[in-house]
Amino acid sequence: MDSITDPLGEMNVMVDQLPNRGREAEMLQSMGLETMEDLFVDIPSEVRFKDELPLRGPQSEEEIIADARRLLGSNVAMGGRPSFIGAGLYRNYVPAAVFQLVTRGEFLTAYTPYQPEVSQGMLQAMWEFQTLISELVGLPVANLSLYDGSTAAAEALTCAVRVHNRKATQANTVYVSELIPPDKMSVMENYCQGAEIVIKTLKHHDDGTLNLDELKLAAGSCGVYLEQPNPLGILDEGLITVKDIIGANTALIVGVQPISLGIVEAPGHYGADIVVGEGQPLGSPVTGGGPLYGIFACTKTYLRLMPGRIVGRSIDVDGKEAYCLTLSTREQHIRRHRATSNICTNETLIALMGAMHMALLGPDGLRDLAHRNLAACQCAKEILASTKGIELVHAAHHFNEFSIRVPGSAKDCLAYLDENGIIGGFDLTTWYPQYNDQILVTATDQTSLRDIEALSAQLAMWSMHQGVSA
Amino acid sequence: MSHLFNHSGAENTGYSQPQGLASVNEPSIPKGLLRQQSARWPRLSEPEMVRHYTWLSKRNFGIDTGFYPLGSCTMKHNPRVNEVIAQLPGIADIHPHQPEHHLQGLLSIFYEMQHMLEVCAGMDQVTLQPVAGAQGEFTAIRCIQEYFRQRGETQRTKVIVPDSAHGTNPASAAMCGFEIVEIPSLADGRMDLAALAAVADETTAAMMITNPNTLGLFEADIKEASQIVHDAGGQMYYDGANFNAILGITSPGLMGFDAVHFNLHKTFSQPHGGGGPGSGPIGVKSQLAPFLPGPLAARRSPTAQESSSAVDEYWYHWHQPEHSIGKVQQWHGNAGAVIRCWAYYRRYGNGLKTMSEHAVLNANYLRHAIHREAKKEGVSHLFVDGAETDVAKHEFTLSMQPAKEALGISAMDVAKGLLDKGYMAPTVYFPLVVPECMMIEPTETESKDTLDTFAEQFVQVLQTDAETLHAAPVTTPVRRVDEVYAARNLCLRHPFEDAE
Repeated sequence: MDSITDPLGEMNVMVDQLPNRGREAEMLQSMGLETMEDLFVDIPSEVRFKDELPLRGPQSEEEIIADARRLLGSNVAMGGRPSFIGAGLYRNYVPAAVFQLVTRGEFLTAYTPYQPEVSQGMLQAMWEFQTLISELVGLPVANLSLYDGSTAAAEALTCAVRVHNRKATQANTVYVSELIPPDKMSVMENYCQGAEIVIKTLKHHDDGTLNLDELKLAAGSCGVYLEQPNPLGILDEGLITVKDIIGANTALIVGVQPISLGIVEAPGHYGADIVVGEGQPLGSPVTGGGPLYGIFACTKTYLRLMPGRIVGRSIDVDGKEAYCLTLSTREQHIRRHRATSNICTNETLIALMGAMHMALLGPDGLRDLAHRNLAACQCAKEILASTKGIELVHAAHHFNEFSIRVPGSAKDCLAYLDENGIIGGFDLTTWYPQYNDQILVTATDQTSLRDIEALSAQLAMWSMHQGVSA
Repeated sequence: MSHLFNHSGAENTGYSQPQGLASVNEPSIPKGLLRQQSARWPRLSEPEMVRHYTWLSKRNFGIDTGFYPLGSCTMKHNPRVNEVIAQLPGIADIHPHQPEHHLQGLLSIFYEMQHMLEVCAGMDQVTLQPVAGAQGEFTAIRCIQEYFRQRGETQRTKVIVPDSAHGTNPASAAMCGFEIVEIPSLADGRMDLAALAAVADETTAAMMITNPNTLGLFEADIKEASQIVHDAGGQMYYDGANFNAILGITSPGLMGFDAVHFNLHKTFSQPHGGGGPGSGPIGVKSQLAPFLPGPLAARRSPTAQESSSAVDEYWYHWHQPEHSIGKVQQWHGNAGAVIRCWAYYRRYGNGLKTMSEHAVLNANYLRHAIHREAKKEGVSHLFVDGAETDVAKHEFTLSMQPAKEALGISAMDVAKGLLDKGYMAPTVYFPLVVPECMMIEPTETESKDTLDTFAEQFVQVLQTDAETLHAAPVTTPVRRVDEVYAARNLCLRHPFEDAE
């Protein structure tokens, strides 16, 4: 028995993963070797570990899943209580068929389709994904995903500079909404600094809409990045005039919540040159913030300088319809340091979940889903607006989320709600230190009237504790 | 053919939704923002949708389908319990902005993974935030850049990479704003110390290199290389793509590296998913730790109040490094991938060394088996080792140059011939330093029988006449795909216009 020579009897638990346990001697002998050590003679002793790795012992599947249930079970899942936290990630129902299909091993355990003849399934699925996204955002070209919404936005800025810099009167300069969360802004800064791109910010009015007069300053720059709905959930009608103000030589980049596009106009239809977004609400659970997938779509102007992988429809030698990766000469494995991006592994499987969800919804299903999200948000707004002590910060149209002002500090209020079993929303102090009494409240298709009433009741109690009289 | 956009079986949708709150109020949006034309998405009932994607899956090859010796990609088996764990609500249904006391389990797993990777790599601090290997490279080079800026060494504008490096290395360094200095490899594929010494100077910020290198060989001179770069004042960066070969045997820290990225989707079995998601944590030595993207998972003893929600004797919390470069992903990285890899790690624990030994055993065994079989069948003159060596590490290269010259059979022809035998092809034409290169990485999860049969079939392909191989594959869903046609006749989405 092999276990006799095993320094640790418990090592046997990993036999189930290593088919050649017990056949080592036979295999080594066929190569004229005697011990495993003979395979590592090329590694000098001065760089060798002297001792065994100081880590815990191996576990069996049953022990691992028991520990996983214990540890992950101690996390507070949003579905277990009324939850109003969003701020860029949204709880939406993902139909069962998506999970059942995406774990098929042919999808799950494949890699990038370098051999198209045996990868037609994923290639076609991603070509269909490109079509679904293209139709959703109203632009002719889409890639098959970037890492997440923040990196998609960041890559859009560098892409815009590559395309527009030569004619720009404000070279190497882009403009970004001042409302963009600092974490997302930080990703943009990291991606832009290498190309020495200057990021300037665009002002908003007190009502949360974009200041279109100041936007004129952005004309002649390489690109403008705005979000619809904006980070405070506001649907800003002014965005439909932005392209006219900044002109043809400045890219209009719009970040979207994809579900909103079931009701809200596709940015490609009001002049957007590039549309990006966090794909998560279509197809994927929130999953602690990853894996997600970044949407990236654009007009043909950007095609040859855009980041990420793209599938094209082609033919095989018999003239039969076939799919393959195309325009690879933009990419790092060919172009190396002159590539448009360093991205290699992307988020294909999560994009596939998105495609499956979109395929199930169809255009009417998407409209209904957008309607449900809009309605949940509006219902929460109406109820909280009439809750004692609570004020809505912006009189505007919102999608998914809106800001409220609470008595006392947002931090203390959220802690109070948490003690009472409610995840009340997102503390806007995290993004904007000046707003220490504002909470971003999110409602999605998973929000019930009972949840909203519970939040309202507890907010009223909080207000009372804070001395707000009836 | 099943075409998504030709389906129109459902009247409405493949997923009927409850009315919910949509029934209690009439929502409105600004008039000018109302969508005018809906997306031309298909209308499928659920059974049609399920059948379409099942049909597609049958036209795709994964590790579950068969042997997948794609060099440099570490296509090992993906244990299924990891998928079950990743669907638990304690990971699937949590939000990264929830307070720490809601996320003690997640934080403890992050902490455990940081610690494990620190131990395996010989690094002082790991961050799990980068979501892919290339993003890990980018993140680490950014940290090195800020480190030098803070020291006032702004003249360090160059990053050295060997000509055999993965394309992501120069691409990532260039994205940070560095100039790339490429150094040639020696004839045997190993690093050229003299070439390195000639370019390393006060303008060097870092050298990026993988070890074992892309030919599957261990660079025995690695400590000397580290010394040269350190003497010039630069930092050493380890590309962890080939980490599967060395766990528990050696570490980047022992070799003198300052920073390393891990491809959790390679070494720790996050499923590759047809091209992602991945996870690309990085580890660094203490001098770079203050620059890491935050937050990191940390722990301390709990206060009396905290002990009720603590998962064990510690209280876990987020920690922001002092001079952090900020973020490279908006949240905490690919947490779902980290959880799967944690489950994988737990399977091996301190036995990770055994895993690496088997990866190296299988690669060497297959290399020998192919040579032995070729000799027996009289075709050993048709290929040579990509590099002279007694032992390879987790992968090896073969050059098909002799077959090309003698018979007109290229590496691509052999690859397509292997597809007809029911295998995924090895990586071809990489690294560029080996002519007509095939890069073969079997991983530790393939049985001896699979390796023996593959060796036989590989040799059978070499015994096939050139004409047949040029026409291969013939048994696959489609035959050779015309990539030039795809690039010249760009069709990147369904052409609705023609269909109507």
